[in-house]
Amino acid sequence: MEDFDGQIQALVGREVGTGEAPDPVNQPMIRHWAAAFEDGNPVYVDEAAAAASRHGAIVAPPLMLQTWTMATPKITGMAERGGSPVETDGPGFMAVFEEAGFTGTLAVNSEFEIDRYLHLGEIVTSSTTIEAVSEQKQTRLGAGHFLTWVTEYVDQDGEPVGRQRFRILKFRPEGVA
Amino acid sequence: MGRRWSEVEVGETLPGLVLEMTATRVVAGALATRDFMPVHHDRDYANSQGAPDIFMNILSDNAYCSRFLTDWAGKEAIIRSLAIRLGVPSFANSELTWQGHVVAVWTEEDDPTEGWVEVALVATNDLGDHVTGVARLTLPR
Repeated sequence: MEDFDGQIQALVGREVGTGEAPDPVNQPMIRHWAAAFEDGNPVYVDEAAAAASRHGAIVAPPLMLQTWTMATPKITGMAERGGSPVETDGPGFMAVFEEAGFTGTLAVNSEFEIDRYLHLGEIVTSSTTIEAVSEQKQTRLGAGHFLTWVTEYVDQDGEPVGRQRFRILKFRPEGVA
Repeated sequence: MGRRWSEVEVGETLPGLVLEMTATRVVAGALATRDFMPVHHDRDYANSQGAPDIFMNILSDNAYCSRFLTDWAGKEAIIRSLAIRLGVPSFANSELTWQGHVVAVWTEEDDPTEGWVEVALVATNDLGDHVTGVARLTLPR
């Protein structure tokens, strides 16, 4: 297993994904978001209220940060791709876990830091880097490894606006050889 | 208008938020966050994956936490961080309840106008804790 441990530790520090918002921060998507969650904060949708607040103008909901760079789905073929909303080119970085039998995935933590709120017209891009891979742990689901990545979000000038640290457990389902 | 930091006290309880997490809410949240994973909108697919129903996506968890915080803190609040631990799923047609309380308040020397608030929050349903977390926000003093 030394080879496997070496392979998974080699993931640490590796950039595993980038994202580019297909559209700038915009009022229609914010209005859609606010309606879906019935969030009545007027600084997201009410120009006058936002102008009178310390934000000075409409701002995007801070926890909407991740939404801006979500990949545009390709609906056709989703079932054939095993439910993946997007087409991928070849196996991803998690293949090393899958091949070793750690086929289960459980999301464990999401940690957002917000550096500043975004205004209409801003353009968000993201890059995701593996921060840590744990040694094998015994969990209630089975043996597994915790995998932590950090997605750094920047604005049109390349300045940081926030980041999300995300932790998952890749586990070997118990009772499966 | 909006809450001021000087009005916030440690131990203060945030107004609870109770929502019937209907299939409509699950789907509306998934699509508003541009998350098209079928487990969040297609019951047949969710069943095929061993889940009894569609369930909330994590971007919606973050969104509802944000709403829960600013419903209380008001429009001058600035959310600085939100760290959540993900527990049991939130399946469609279950009731989800958010509760929270203020665990710390402080100011920082280099910032004379802003005050910090830390809130511990939890969202629970009939299966247990769906989300537990800690948020930090600032308000005008």
